Amino acid sequence: MDIDHDTLVFFSKSWGLFYLLAFAICVLAYTFWPSNKKRFNKAKKSILDPEDKPWQ
Amino acid sequence: MPELFHRKLERSTIGFVLAIIVVASIGGIVEIAPLFTIDETVEEAPDMRLYTPLELAGRNIYIREGCYACHSQMIRTLRDEVERYGPYSLAVESRYDHPMLWGSKRTGPDLARIGDKYSDIWHVAHLTNPRDVVPESNMPAYRWLARNDLKIEDLALHLATQRAVGVPYTEDMIENAAEDAYGQATPDSDAASGVAERYGEETQIRAFDGVATRLTEMDALVAYLQVLGRLTDAAYEDTAAPQKPPEPVE
Amino acid sequence: MVSTLTRSERQAAIGVSVLVAICGLAFAALGRHDVLEIHGFLILAFGLLCAFAVINGYYEPEPTDERLASYYDAPIKAGIALSMAWAVFALFIGVWVASLLAWPNLTFDQAWASFGRLRPVHTTGIIFGFGGNALIATSFHVMQRTSRARMPDQFSAWFVLIGFNLFCLLSVTGYLVGVTQSKEYAEAEWYADIWLVIVWVTYFILYVRTIARRKEPHIYVANWYFLAFILVVAILHIVNNIAVPVSLGHAKSYPVWSGVQDAMVQWWYGHNAVAFFLTAGFLGMLYYYLPVRAQRPIFSYRLSILSFWGITFFYMWAGSHHLHYTALPHWVQTLGMTFSVMLLVPSWASAGNALLTLNGAWHRVRDDATLRFMMVAAVFYGLSTFEGSFMAIRPVNSLSHYTDWTVGHVHAGALGWVALITFGSFYTLVPSLWKRERMYSPALVEVHFWLALAGTLVYIFAMWNSGVIQGLMWRTYTEEGTLAYSFIDSLVAMYPYYIARTLGGLLFFVGAIIGSYNIWMTVRAVPLAADRGSDIPDSSAVAVAGE
Repeated sequence: MDIDHDTLVFFSKSWGLFYLLAFAICVLAYTFWPSNKKRFNKAKKSILDPEDKPWQ
Repeated sequence: MPELFHRKLERSTIGFVLAIIVVASIGGIVEIAPLFTIDETVEEAPDMRLYTPLELAGRNIYIREGCYACHSQMIRTLRDEVERYGPYSLAVESRYDHPMLWGSKRTGPDLARIGDKYSDIWHVAHLTNPRDVVPESNMPAYRWLARNDLKIEDLALHLATQRAVGVPYTEDMIENAAEDAYGQATPDSDAASGVAERYGEETQIRAFDGVATRLTEMDALVAYLQVLGRLTDAAYEDTAAPQKPPEPVE
Repeated sequence: MVSTLTRSERQAAIGVSVLVAICGLAFAALGRHDVLEIHGFLILAFGLLCAFAVINGYYEPEPTDERLASYYDAPIKAGIALSMAWAVFALFIGVWVASLLAWPNLTFDQAWASFGRLRPVHTTGIIFGFGGNALIATSFHVMQRTSRARMPDQFSAWFVLIGFNLFCLLSVTGYLVGVTQSKEYAEAEWYADIWLVIVWVTYFILYVRTIARRKEPHIYVANWYFLAFILVVAILHIVNNIAVPVSLGHAKSYPVWSGVQDAMVQWWYGHNAVAFFLTAGFLGMLYYYLPVRAQRPIFSYRLSILSFWGITFFYMWAGSHHLHYTALPHWVQTLGMTFSVMLLVPSWASAGNALLTLNGAWHRVRDDATLRFMMVAAVFYGLSTFEGSFMAIRPVNSLSHYTDWTVGHVHAGALGWVALITFGSFYTLVPSLWKRERMYSPALVEVHFWLALAGTLVYIFAMWNSGVIQGLMWRTYTEEGTLAYSFIDSLVAMYPYYIARTLGGLLFFVGAIIGSYNIWMTVRAVPLAADRGSDIPDSSAVAVAGE
């Protein structure tokens, strides 16, 4: 295929949009996946733990 | 089992790193990739000249002193800018600018078409102390430019490097770089004739700082300022309302 | 410092220092007809100094295995000290360059003291010196705490910290003698750029190795931001700085990019340096130190994930809004504008998340200046991201571009967001890191807060005014249809604002000096905290961790 300026611009304009949509769906799915809820809640509270030693 | 668990942890870190790279690089690639074929859509400028060694040395002084921090070289496509500074800048005009000096701030005015607007002697006076010619100016004085001798012995290397990044300097230009730099600012010398031969009849050959016996950084910077916007007339031809380039001042 | 390194790490440190010194010597020899010579000797001296420091402590007893039961904090402490030192230095230069615009004769006829050379000293000193050291120090702290793991060795962290400061030193001294690439916020020349790549790769490997040793299965979100900061800055730095040096004996190089491509690459870099250096990294700080100081978990962890990916994705498209109405193709400008406006969503999600975390703890914000630093930082983050999206809209940009409005916007972000979140984080971190009961003087923290806030407000109001006036004067027409003002008319109108901004900067500078003094005295004069229960390993927690 001949790669000229118009092809690249077309690719940028069209593919960029689909990429954005697909990407948004993945991120939303990960964020709201029910089984992730527990893990996120734990992470959220764990930094408040006053312990200041590495676990071994 | 703990071994397996550990490996999974490491894998998730690497996966995460890859995700960041993929997500973050797409935008840049999509925007920048088409610009590499932009030559296909950029205006033609067959008359485009190259910076002479003296002008290139002046450009490097412009960069060294950080002039770009207060002066842009990019006239936008807005009515007031075109009326104040001249025809808007075209992509082709900075085609050989490594790096470009479009700038981002105008504490002072745009310089894209400053060439030939003022006389050499005005520039020398202005650079020596801006407030002598523009009393309200807040530009620093650059007195040391007239004190410093211009370093010309490695200009051939500079031109060769410019060629390596894509500027079409010829072997002849590279070989004679130092001599051409001297000749351009010393019109009465033997070296002067070769400059116009190599860089075109329109090349300005004169003692830019007013002193023909000595080649200073002032010579180089003024030579550069005087060629800004004068490398091609493309911008004057392609605009909706064609304008005439300024006549060189005597 | 040397006493915390093992014998083999001391040998490695000496080896690397000597290697650096040899490179310096080589540059000094190759560049003896160029300004590169100065940098050659500087690198040589730097390498020798490091080597001697390590040799001096070489026969100190080695650290025992007990060290593995605690986090490695020594480089974090050094990073905080370096960060504050750079802040004081670069803010001083900032006040100086601001006064140069009002009183241009303050250069004393010295080339190094002119505006064009001092300005990158100020910007590099703040962004890389102050901001970079702060990010390195806090990221070392956060990555260890949230992973519940000590960093894998003692040497890498020092290499990153000291190597990074060598880069800063080379950049800043280079501008003073005229060594610059002229690419804004990436002015350092090729050899400093290559050195930064080496340092940065080590930084990345150290970070990933620590994360890989983590005992918490989930990577806390602050680490995401720090990782994105490290990774993307590496990509940006490498692409933007590809250049061919004139020779190995010349400091000067020519970038491979030219004209419109160079402009796009430069502002793709420039805008994303804001995004990933000055935003992502500092959001990492926000998501750790704000909840810790407020003693409340972040309002919504999910929202922090969504805004992370939003920022990582959207920012990369936004750079072209620096080039509206220029010779850059129109569709690239439109793309940049669109994504800049969309950026507001993840940005405000982060700012809102921070402020909602404080909901219910406002009495603590009232009483605790440290928490207030972070609260105000979140507010400024929200304001300046809104302003940024607004200024990226093409017609608005036609007024704001090239004027002081841009400068005001940058400082709303740099002073109001970056510096305030850093000071808030440092005031949280310093007592806990040095195991002190509290800061030396809470009253001085309060004074610092008000000086910083007043300085920021004076500065940005001055720049808003001057920027808008300037932009309007440039485009004002007379009734006859001619331009109403010459350029110099607009400059004359700026002088009062240039003086006001100098004053604002001065207030901020004084605040930073007071902050440095307070940190110094905390380390020096405040008694050690009584051994808290938390410092004794919790046997039950250790058992859980061993899974």
